[in-house]
Amino acid sequence: MRVERSSEWKEGFIERLENRKEFDNWTLYQMCYDMERAKVIPEFHGLQSPKHLPNLTPYAHQLEAAETVIERMNGKAILADEVGLGKTIEAGLVLKEYLIRGLVKKALILAPASLTNQWIAELNQKFHIPAIAYNKKYNLDHCPIVVTSIDMAKRSPHKEMIVQQEYDLVIIDEAHKLKNPKTKNYEFVQQLKKKFCLLLTATPIQNDVFELFNLISLLKPGHLGNLETFQSVFSASKHHVEEDEFLKELIQQVMVRNIRHETGIEWTNRLVQIIPLEFTEQERAVYSMISKLPVSDSFTLLTLQREMCSSQLSAVLTLEKLHQTSVQPEVRFQIEEILLKLTELGIHTKAKKALELIQNADDKVIIFTEYRATQAYLQAVLHAKGITSVLFNGKFSKNKREWMKQLFQGNAQVLIATESGSEGINLQFCHHVINYDLPWNPMKLEQRIGRVHRLGQTEDVHIYNLAIQQTVEDKMVELLERKIGVFEKVVGELDHILTDGKRSIS
Amino acid sequence: MRQQEIHQYIQRFFHENNCGVLDSSYDHLTVQLTIDMDKRIMNRPYYWSYVESGGVEPNPAKLTLITNPSQFSTSMAGERIHFGSPRLHQLFQVTKEQGAFVQMYEKPGLGQATQVTLTPWLGVNYKITYSSDRTKEMLYSLGMNLMNGAVIDGFQESVRKLELGPSVAANTYYLPYNIPPLRALDRLEDVMGNVVNQDDHTWVEEAKQRQVRDLRVLDYFYTGVEDVPESYAIEKKAIEEQYETTIRIEIINGGLFYLKTSLL
Repeated sequence: MRVERSSEWKEGFIERLENRKEFDNWTLYQMCYDMERAKVIPEFHGLQSPKHLPNLTPYAHQLEAAETVIERMNGKAILADEVGLGKTIEAGLVLKEYLIRGLVKKALILAPASLTNQWIAELNQKFHIPAIAYNKKYNLDHCPIVVTSIDMAKRSPHKEMIVQQEYDLVIIDEAHKLKNPKTKNYEFVQQLKKKFCLLLTATPIQNDVFELFNLISLLKPGHLGNLETFQSVFSASKHHVEEDEFLKELIQQVMVRNIRHETGIEWTNRLVQIIPLEFTEQERAVYSMISKLPVSDSFTLLTLQREMCSSQLSAVLTLEKLHQTSVQPEVRFQIEEILLKLTELGIHTKAKKALELIQNADDKVIIFTEYRATQAYLQAVLHAKGITSVLFNGKFSKNKREWMKQLFQGNAQVLIATESGSEGINLQFCHHVINYDLPWNPMKLEQRIGRVHRLGQTEDVHIYNLAIQQTVEDKMVELLERKIGVFEKVVGELDHILTDGKRSIS
Repeated sequence: MRQQEIHQYIQRFFHENNCGVLDSSYDHLTVQLTIDMDKRIMNRPYYWSYVESGGVEPNPAKLTLITNPSQFSTSMAGERIHFGSPRLHQLFQVTKEQGAFVQMYEKPGLGQATQVTLTPWLGVNYKITYSSDRTKEMLYSLGMNLMNGAVIDGFQESVRKLELGPSVAANTYYLPYNIPPLRALDRLEDVMGNVVNQDDHTWVEEAKQRQVRDLRVLDYFYTGVEDVPESYAIEKKAIEEQYETTIRIEIINGGLFYLKTSLL
């Protein structure tokens, strides 16, 4: 075993012995030794940063994750903990550790716009890291730790300014937005010069295993060969993915994933159930009419079917648009007929059920819907029954989001959110979630549930997934189950999102 | 280091370097740098070559360092200092350069009437670093009695408690060493070599095993690929470097100590 030594000190010592140079100051000599002692890394395992963070008490799984990233993954990793386990803390620990070891001097954090302030506050307050918000007036050469949103960063002139910098560490929050290599987001991240990189996402696979290929390729370009070879290896064996040890091994090399019930923390229960519903006779008739519409575009038809399963109002809007663009008088006539029937329907079956669930819960409830029209419809239905509600969607500004959250916490019983509202708000004070419409992507369910079932939740959480039988929603449930299956084979276990297995589906 | 310790460290550092404190509070410290310190840490060689060539009045910088984290996200002007900030690393580096060699004499103590004899010691602080994809560091503070060749560990902790000065006090005299300091240094180097030799080195084997595993996975994704792209070689080299094992023995600092207290 070769041992490196340097004769530098000896040479300096000789100069002093021969009176060619002065000896140094005793205080600085002692400070030098003390400083080295403070910096020493006494074990192969373990982090130095917690010693320097007296006000932070991380959970064991968070420390372990940060350790694994540094020791095992050389700072290139996907942090894929389930939602609500504190990925931000893990990333902060990694950043702090590298700063202490002098391996990172410049870092860039890319987070959704709604979360940048939260990142800055946490890094400053919990980690004593002086992170600042990106501002194009600043000279980035003098900003060691910068936080910004990817949507801002990828646009000129910010893009050019940021890409010019050499970052030691880039942290990307909600990294599932980078699954598609053909997007501007992906291209931008590819261009960043980075030594270490952390991708944070609870949902590294949303639809198929190639998304993982794209994420890993950002961390380690070239590690997986190219997409063609990867595809040929894995498409051919799509059905025995689980047998493929190499994929598992690879995932172990780049991914840390903590699962709620393995963290050793006492979690409140997550009670998930699918609530199967039956259309009324009149609704069923309208649904059949919609299904028989001679629309050439199957996507439009599917949308209409899903909307009919959500609310009359959302179907009406699409039908009216279709009416305007249809040229065949026959089609226009059919649409008019459907529109007429729609107006004759009573409260939508699902809305009735939601109402009942809210009344039984007698507590705060979040409703997630896929449609803005349904959002408005539900608010009206609830209002008629004297139930207060606030709306929430992704287009709201930071201030408005915060205000809506306050209103929900304080005055309103129900928060009605659209899909784009499901990121980055933490609502542990609420214990009931109604998935009024199901999304195509199971990970969206996980993200939604993660808003309430996270660290800090003190009560059991009830999740109600509404699905109308003998409609397109049956197929959606089936598809969701299949996708959950793929995820569990490749990434590992997933907490209950669709049903908790204890209740039967029908 | 806690924030208060960092604050203290900085304060002492600038004090020892004759940089006057202009303003200080629980949250911050503002210091007037000397010309020498400005040149060392402010990284503005052009300014100084301009000053020195043009005969302009030198104007060394004032530096405000904020050490209280609760002020980090406020608008308070100044550099935010935390354990891990580049500025603190830089001050550590300067400390290292300025505190590398000492020659110290133990003071006789109050009321000491009779003559005091001081024994010469060589004290050296070592750092051993084992590194692969993981790192382990160990500090050793060795001292060798230059009269009889006895070696002790924990030397720094022992001398820290003593009253030492940079020159020999009145009424004390020191013995000339039997063992020349450079020879003593060579012997301490051997001692460190033995420490390393006798240590458990299963970590080397473990790192190799991890490397083999990583390379196996990499190769798997390139099996059957005819034109192996450049990226393969880059990734392979990165894995090899990541797991490369090295042992380094370095001297943090050291010096000659003339002591009346017996350390054995």
